[in-house]
Amino acid sequence: MIAFKNEWLLFRRSRLGLVMILLLAALAIASVVAGLVEVDRQRAAIERIHPLQKQDVSAIANWVTKTGTAGDAAYFTFHETWDPPSRLAFAALGMRDVSPYLLRVRALGLESQLYDSENYNPELALPGRFDYAFVLVYLAPLFVIALFHDLISGEREAGRLRMLEATPGAGRRLWVRRIGLRYLLLVASLALPLVAGGIVAGAHLQGIAAMVGLTAAYMAFWVLVAWLIGRLNIGSAASAASMAAAWLLLTLVLPALAHVAITRAVPVNQGVELSLAHRDAVHGAWDIPQEKTMAEFFRYHPEWSDTPPTDGTFHWKWYLAFHHVADRSVAPQAQSYRQGLLERDELTRWVGAVLPAVGVQAAFTRLAGTDIQAQLTYQDRIRAYHTRLRTFYYPYLFNDRPFTEADFAKAPVFAPG
Amino acid sequence: MSALTLIARDELWLMRRSRVSVIAAALLIVLVVIAGITSVAHQSNVADTRARLQAQVDEEFDNQPSRHPHRMVHFGHFIFRPLPPLAAFDPGIDAFTGNAMFLEGHRQNSANFGDVRQSSILVRFGQLTPAFVLQTLAPLLIIFLGYGAVARERGAGTLRQLFMQGVSAGTLIAGKLLALATVAALIAIPAMSVLIFVAAQPGAAAGPIALTAAGYLTYLALWSIIVVLVSASVARPRNALLALLGLWSVTVILLPRIAPDLAATAVPQPTRLETDLTLQRELRAMGDSHNPDDPVFAAFKQRVLRQYGVRRVEDLPVNYKGLLAVEGERMTSELFDRYASEGFARQARQSATMDAIGTLSPAVAMRRLSMAAAGTDLAGHARFLDQAEAYRYDLVQRLNRLQADAVSFEDDAAKSSDTAAEQRSRIDPHHWHAMPDFHFAPPEPGDLVRRASPAAVMLLLWLLVPALLLAPAARRLEGVRS
Repeated sequence: MIAFKNEWLLFRRSRLGLVMILLLAALAIASVVAGLVEVDRQRAAIERIHPLQKQDVSAIANWVTKTGTAGDAAYFTFHETWDPPSRLAFAALGMRDVSPYLLRVRALGLESQLYDSENYNPELALPGRFDYAFVLVYLAPLFVIALFHDLISGEREAGRLRMLEATPGAGRRLWVRRIGLRYLLLVASLALPLVAGGIVAGAHLQGIAAMVGLTAAYMAFWVLVAWLIGRLNIGSAASAASMAAAWLLLTLVLPALAHVAITRAVPVNQGVELSLAHRDAVHGAWDIPQEKTMAEFFRYHPEWSDTPPTDGTFHWKWYLAFHHVADRSVAPQAQSYRQGLLERDELTRWVGAVLPAVGVQAAFTRLAGTDIQAQLTYQDRIRAYHTRLRTFYYPYLFNDRPFTEADFAKAPVFAPG
Repeated sequence: MSALTLIARDELWLMRRSRVSVIAAALLIVLVVIAGITSVAHQSNVADTRARLQAQVDEEFDNQPSRHPHRMVHFGHFIFRPLPPLAAFDPGIDAFTGNAMFLEGHRQNSANFGDVRQSSILVRFGQLTPAFVLQTLAPLLIIFLGYGAVARERGAGTLRQLFMQGVSAGTLIAGKLLALATVAALIAIPAMSVLIFVAAQPGAAAGPIALTAAGYLTYLALWSIIVVLVSASVARPRNALLALLGLWSVTVILLPRIAPDLAATAVPQPTRLETDLTLQRELRAMGDSHNPDDPVFAAFKQRVLRQYGVRRVEDLPVNYKGLLAVEGERMTSELFDRYASEGFARQARQSATMDAIGTLSPAVAMRRLSMAAAGTDLAGHARFLDQAEAYRYDLVQRLNRLQADAVSFEDDAAKSSDTAAEQRSRIDPHHWHAMPDFHFAPPEPGDLVRRASPAAVMLLLWLLVPALLLAPAARRLEGVRS
């Protein structure tokens, strides 16, 4: 213990080391604060929507209830869905800056509504956000370089290395202490702001613990790299240069190469094809006999097959039916689009198993619920909600029931996860 | 041979002898080559795909059967954002915006299916393009090769020997700089070949390409000067390396990340949904087309009746419903345009804020110059959206006028309850052929150069600062002699 304290006194005397630790802590604090602010902003944006949405619906109800046409209600009323940020989202904002966390849907064809983009400035999205995951993945290893590049070679250059290694047992303990202290300081300067942020955000202990564990493991990896390079006996400057080169390869070059490879291996053009096919299906319905569409619809919803047939003129039940039939007709494309995205994600996980930077980033966005999986889960919720929405309107349309003021309030409400 | 070239030759010889230096330089050159090949392939692949899809949807539009014109307003049209030739060098924000856009009546849809939402988290690690390699990685190589250039001589005591042989500190620094700049130029060769290849492509203009080339050469020269300057100003090579690594991390990695966050906080961006809801509210305040007694639409009706000198809409020589559609589209589009230009202005303010913070980093100025000259920046995207909206409005209004002229009011009014009237309200498909196709008008080369100029000036100012500091550094180095 005394030896450890002496080591600390020694470390404190080197100004560079202390400044580095404080700087890293400051960056970690800044990133946690920035993350918390952004998550708050997203929550506030969701909160602001609810009253606006209520006004919108009541304005539609105002004129629809004059005739009570259920089709008008189904056609004109948009229903809100939202995807609140998780309590850990502040640590890794992930894709939440480029994909919508608010989306309104109608009971019409979902496939032309589901993939709408968010409004954001692409020039701001291009460099990426300043969050804790960024500080950890990109910046923290550079601090390892600053603190560790001359740990061994510094002693050698000062002529003390031989003496240290000649002392049996003590030499090893010295290295354990010296490296251990620096490692603990690094992890603490990162993890303490993270834990504080987690407490402020009200996150689960397990999630915070997992992130702290990842932080400790990732730092351990870089300290190990530093130690191995330090053993090479190549001098302080060459050590630092080699560590920086390793950092460059592992966090910039190889992930970028992997991205090129994955993009080429799994092309995803299904999104556009799906949209085109869906449009054809929706508009083609006007050119085929109504009975054909209805027969197809009754295959999915036999419970309405006993209702009176349409007579070839416009009827809202036919309108909603062909929208649903169109959704069903592109289901294979939607599935393969989703499959393509999952495949890319899966390959990224494999890359993450080899490249710690990618692995840690992937794990963080997974824990934070800000990755592509979280996006797809939100889309699944929207799909489920859209089904409730359609089937909410069907009884009015197929039983020719008027849609009243009170019915507007009966519409299903989206349940976020 | 002068002392200067001797020093430069000596330094280059040392670099060539160091296996690490050679491997590092070779790796970077290989990377630029890979980045160049994959970017060019990606660009032409994407451009082909979008052109093919565009041709396909244009044909589909023309081949639609007889329809009521309003059905075509909602059948709408897809357009695909073309990729400028220089995107092979710097795709800029291409992956971060949607590239397929659905155009229809009285709605402004978003551009969808951007790569950023389809590429897992890896896209956030940076894309391997010549621009990325030159902006981000090349400075690091220059640092690795040059941090010891002067500091090494000083640390090893050879500096004094040189001075005693009559070499001035200025000559020494100039020689080292010449050596480092030579290596930097070597790195630039493959990247410049990509630019020359792009210049040979159809649609490529010389001005922006020349500016891009000049910009990157300036940027590499700037880093060479910074490296030699720092190397001449500190006592030990290690300190030079740490200082340079620190400078690089802050200006190339940290600042470009912090700047967007600060810009987004300074100029908040409402969500698409919030904008949409406020827009709808304002639209309702303008007039309610569902309300037969609405004053705005009642006034419009009176105006139309007076203009044609008739008493009832049934007596009009044209289909009143079509006129109403034209008027409604005009009103909603006015509102769309206002919201869209507010949105553009807001995003332009955000980008300006980001650039202002970025003046602290030459990498930000370099990125701005590169994207602006390539036309792959926000302004380039805004240009596409502007033209898309103009095309959408024109297409929809042509169809609405067809409704007014080619569909009778009686049929239009009865089409929902009378199948024969519905059949008569469908007009011949030759009308769809007559609709113009979307052709993106690329920006003028002069326009691109003009937009990239402020960043070019910023880069030159950046070059000036360390260049002016070289002479004092040389004088201080002379002081080391005594």
